[in-house]
Amino acid sequence: MTTKYSPPELRPKKLDILVAVVVLVLAVVVAVGFYGPKLGQGEDTSVVISMGGEVVERIPMTSFPDGKKVLTHNGYTLELCLSYNDLPSSEGQLGVYVLSSDCPTQDCVHTGRISRVGQSIVCLPAQIVIHLEGASNDGAPDIVVG
Amino acid sequence: MMKKLIPLLLCLLLLTGCAPKAESLDIFAMDTYMSLVAVGDGAFDTLQQSANIVNTLEQAMSRTIETSDVAQLNATGSAELRYDTAVLLEEAMALSAATLGCFDVTIAPLVELWNINGENPVVPPQEEIDALLPLVGSEHIHLDNGSATLDAGCAIDLGGIAKGFASDRIAQLYHERALEGGFVSLGGNVYVHGENTEGTAWHVAIQHPEDSSGYACILSLSDAFVVTSGGYQRYFTAPDGTVYQHILDPFTGAPAASDLLSVSIILPYDADKLHGAMADAYSTALYVMGETAACDFWAAQQSFDMVLVTKDGRIIYTPGLIEHFTPVEESGYDYQVLTA
Repeated sequence: MTTKYSPPELRPKKLDILVAVVVLVLAVVVAVGFYGPKLGQGEDTSVVISMGGEVVERIPMTSFPDGKKVLTHNGYTLELCLSYNDLPSSEGQLGVYVLSSDCPTQDCVHTGRISRVGQSIVCLPAQIVIHLEGASNDGAPDIVVG
Repeated sequence: MMKKLIPLLLCLLLLTGCAPKAESLDIFAMDTYMSLVAVGDGAFDTLQQSANIVNTLEQAMSRTIETSDVAQLNATGSAELRYDTAVLLEEAMALSAATLGCFDVTIAPLVELWNINGENPVVPPQEEIDALLPLVGSEHIHLDNGSATLDAGCAIDLGGIAKGFASDRIAQLYHERALEGGFVSLGGNVYVHGENTEGTAWHVAIQHPEDSSGYACILSLSDAFVVTSGGYQRYFTAPDGTVYQHILDPFTGAPAASDLLSVSIILPYDADKLHGAMADAYSTALYVMGETAACDFWAAQQSFDMVLVTKDGRIIYTPGLIEHFTPVEESGYDYQVLTA
């Protein structure tokens, strides 16, 4: 006895192609929605100022006021400034630094200029933290230790 | 057509909705700024409990809180210790022995004399330093079933190890709670748990000691401790222009004259060991030792990884980090892998 075997139709139908195209388009739309806001971080870095553990101000780096910004908390006063970096390892980057502080340790002044997302200046006596925040990582590390 | 599309769309919706929520907490404690992140179920509660751990440890181990075990011990020469204080003091004595005294908690009288982190640091007369040096050494601590006594005139400071211990306890909590990811950054002491929010290992940058905007290198790590010590942020400048950084050499009683700018120690999480505390103590000890002795110490032990930044522009790292290590091209450093 012999059985006739007829192979399945393997050629894609128009409907299959349409489904594949729709899936591809949806994948692109979802990817753009998910990853899109994380691109272009360098353009939207913000200076986030916290006092006593509470965020009190968030200033886009490009809108940072000229001259000094005076921060006072816990009985101490810090002068925060914006400038371009001139060290070879981060030349030309816009950054902030504490110009002066009347705190006893001066760690905040010693920290120097920060210009990359994730970096912070901490003044322990004043309990002031100046942190750089961006819309995405864009190659920036998750944590800085040192 | 619709029968095929609807399940696909539902799958896509599920994918976009499954990203775990990250919670964060920033606190000032243990004389430092702490930043904690937790990702996964129960993240918020875990952070609250982490803050409780930090506060509890600070109440027990601070040198300046009068009711702490350490303050009591320093003031009266003896004290009944809380469980964690006893555990950490025993560990500190073991680490002092392991590092041949380059890390030693009995350095407290000299820390107080120099007062580098205080309001009015001054360079003390050499005779005052010499008078206190005999008080340094873990043989002056006597620990017995949770009770501690100190030899006359001695004092301890757990500041060089307590933050590492706190990261040990928090790492333990993150594991017990089975968090998907998170990190703990306790002023130079970092623990990274699981994966970051992108689903990869955490990218931990080691600060460029000579450029506050730059990084020395980047490490990709999961379930690991990274502790960095260096003298480039905490220091004071004497009237004659001499810079005195804050890490004291237990043998000279003066700020360590190290040929290193920073030392980072990397150890994996181990539920049965206090690797956070060990990394904390080792980073201080190896900074005091300097490059040659630090490399010899690593070669003899090979039980940890490290990144040394030298004053002459080199970065030396151990072979165990090769797969996790990314140099920073613009740092200006010459990168070298250490061989045993």
